[in-house]
Amino acid sequence: MNESLPQHNPEPQSELAAELAQERYVFTPPIDIYETEEGMVLHADLPGVSSDTLELQVQDNKLTLFGRVKPPIPEEAQLLHKEYEVGSFLRSFILSDQVDYDNISASMNHGVLKVVLPKAQRGEARRIPIATS
Amino acid sequence: MAFFRWGHPWSPLGDLEREVDRFLRGMNLSIHGIRPGRQFPAINIYELEDEFLLTAEIPGTNPDELELTVETGLLTLKGVRNDVKGVPDEKFRRQERFRGTWQRSVSLPDRILEEKLHAEFNNGILLIHLPKAQQPEPRRIQIVDQQKTLSSVDSAESQTKKTTRNIEVFNDDQKSSSETT
Repeated sequence: MNESLPQHNPEPQSELAAELAQERYVFTPPIDIYETEEGMVLHADLPGVSSDTLELQVQDNKLTLFGRVKPPIPEEAQLLHKEYEVGSFLRSFILSDQVDYDNISASMNHGVLKVVLPKAQRGEARRIPIATS
Repeated sequence: MAFFRWGHPWSPLGDLEREVDRFLRGMNLSIHGIRPGRQFPAINIYELEDEFLLTAEIPGTNPDELELTVETGLLTLKGVRNDVKGVPDEKFRRQERFRGTWQRSVSLPDRILEEKLHAEFNNGILLIHLPKAQQPEPRRIQIVDQQKTLSSVDSAESQTKKTTRNIEVFNDDQKSSSETT
């Protein structure tokens, strides 16, 4: 399903704030999240977004996707019938601490973003160095 | 605008939709994403000098599973989206995206060269080019001067005849009336 309602993100990330201010429409893309043996997989519908125009970042435990759309229509074209607006996509997710942050991978395929969030290996105790003074 | 001359087959409810859009926007809804009754996929139509452009948002559709057909003025888009196939429902934590098969038909105006339709598919957006048929040059109908003069003479003659006849009748009446009196 596509949405056409403009959305004003209440708390845009500071790096994106300037860019978002220029965007006429910012949409929340629909997503699927499902569990697998290895972790979780996220799909997001980002029609018109390519891997070049997508920004994906993890900051602390927050995963943010921001995709820009360049309409494939020449500017002089006159709009006759409109069912969807052309805009950008923005959505953030809070990741659980069970996600292995260093091994998140992502791919774009025909306007769908797929993010693989692998489970962090459990049972590996991390040694904490203790400094002696 | 020329578009309306052939009956605007694409958007009989365009005005209503725009109104509803405006209304929904004014309400500042906090729920986004799903519009009930919205046909999938959403399409936009644009006009250029020599062609119309139709765009449809169909992310996640494999080009192999996309079918476009044109038959007597009806363009049909058909496709499947099953990129999360095989994932059991209980594994989903979120399920917001459209799944399954879809189909949509759009009637084309008759000024389209159906045999020259072509489409591109990029980043989940389908773009269909609908080239306009050359508008036939308005044909001039020759008017022969002779006919024109003949017809005007004809009407002039008949008019004069008529008037004379009228006069005659009037004269007759006069005569008859004078006779009776």
